[in-house]
Amino acid sequence: MQYIEVNNLTFEYEGETVLDNISFTVAPGEFVMLTGENGAAKTTLLRNVLGLLKPLKGSATISKKNVAGEKLSIGYIPQQIASFNAGFPSTVLELVRSGRFQCGKWFKRLDAADHEHVERALKSVGMWEMRHKKIGELSGGQKQRVCIARVFATDPDLLVLDEPTTGMDFKSRNDFYSLLKHNSQVHGKGILMVTHDHEDIKNYADRHIQLVRKEDSPWRCFAMTSCNMPSKPQS
Amino acid sequence: MEMLRHDFMQYAFQASILIAVIAPILGLFLVLRRQSLMADTLSHVSLVGVALGFLINVNPTIMTLVVVVIAALIIEYMRSLYSTYSEVSIAILMSAGLSLALILMSLKPGGMGQNVQQYLFGSIVTITAGQVRVLFALFLVVLLLFTFFRRPMYVVTFDEDTAHTAGLPVKLISLAFNVITGVTIAVIMPIAGALLVSAIMVLPAAISMRLSKSFSLVMVIGVIIGLIGMLGGLTVSYEWGTPPGATITMVFVVFFVVSGAVLAIGKKIAKARKAV
Repeated sequence: MQYIEVNNLTFEYEGETVLDNISFTVAPGEFVMLTGENGAAKTTLLRNVLGLLKPLKGSATISKKNVAGEKLSIGYIPQQIASFNAGFPSTVLELVRSGRFQCGKWFKRLDAADHEHVERALKSVGMWEMRHKKIGELSGGQKQRVCIARVFATDPDLLVLDEPTTGMDFKSRNDFYSLLKHNSQVHGKGILMVTHDHEDIKNYADRHIQLVRKEDSPWRCFAMTSCNMPSKPQS
Repeated sequence: MEMLRHDFMQYAFQASILIAVIAPILGLFLVLRRQSLMADTLSHVSLVGVALGFLINVNPTIMTLVVVVIAALIIEYMRSLYSTYSEVSIAILMSAGLSLALILMSLKPGGMGQNVQQYLFGSIVTITAGQVRVLFALFLVVLLLFTFFRRPMYVVTFDEDTAHTAGLPVKLISLAFNVITGVTIAVIMPIAGALLVSAIMVLPAAISMRLSKSFSLVMVIGVIIGLIGMLGGLTVSYEWGTPPGATITMVFVVFFVVSGAVLAIGKKIAKARKAV
């Protein structure tokens, strides 16, 4: 079973091919990092995977079900989400609680289990003490951690993360990678993460997909290479 | 309360209460979706409906509703074209709407100045019992929709991509919100006047955003400010004999300035205390 399946995906932007013949999969319990230079269409690839953009050729599909046969839930952190809506009038707690809505709680009261998920998520990123703060009062790194907590609160089967550690210090980044590793290995979450931080993350990820510039094509066109990471000590 | 002996003032107060509850709720989402000027735009666009109604002898309110719903659909389409600059779609439609309204007005032999003026500067004290009933129906619809859809709206407003991956029909929700806002504006416009609709929708939300940290509280405070502004403005307007719409707006503006000053002073005092 694969959570993400990308087959021969080609994507054009304003008539120019930017992604050429990309194929990869992300299985449950697999932690995949996606890297590439600036402008390598990493975010574009993620948006194709999530169905926010349509490929010109090939396909990108996400499994409808998780390993237990239930509806697959997705946790997504877009690039720069924290700075995008920093002025949103909401407390940290309200925002992280909103992550529980997609767990069948759009029209139902949140129960004790939901509140427990929220508390655990906030504590896992070290933001529990800041729960009554307004989002706009936080630093860039703290906002990013709140967005991560929101995603963890949804308890998703698949995590799609676009440079989620922007603005975070070295220790917070490594704690976060370690948390992701734990989630993939112990809880069977599938993880696809865009990052520029491949030196740090290679100690945690199972596979590395790199978008590389095609030599025989216009400068903006990227293809991919993929390699498995050597076995690393468990977190 | 001598003024409440008059039927027209009773209707005005009833209408004010209804508007004060629904306008800040919609207004907060408008501000957060960077569509603060949407109320302004749709009120200008709705003049097309008024002009068209007078031109072809159809009830202007019905024509306004039709035109505003079409405009709301166009705005949603244009938002997808200018996703990062959603105000562009609003600005374009505002100019287009006003121009079309002026052209349509010029086509009516003898002009329609007086009738259109009534819509532009509509007065809440001329509201009829029938209009109050329509407003009450709208109040119930908005409140019902808000009760059921406040959570999806919260997530869609925070980030549309996140909402999409959470399985929400983002485009449908966005479209429905625009249409409801359009209909609300079309109903409020002849009551408050096109030029003042925007202030009534945006100012309570803008003020409350500065007064609270929590989204739910921002919403509640917005409604309270809406009630104070509408009822206070109406009372002042009755006592001083000033135009009600303009007076209500000025009450909101004074509220905005005073609350800003109090906040700034409060921050300075807190800073000084910390320094000590």
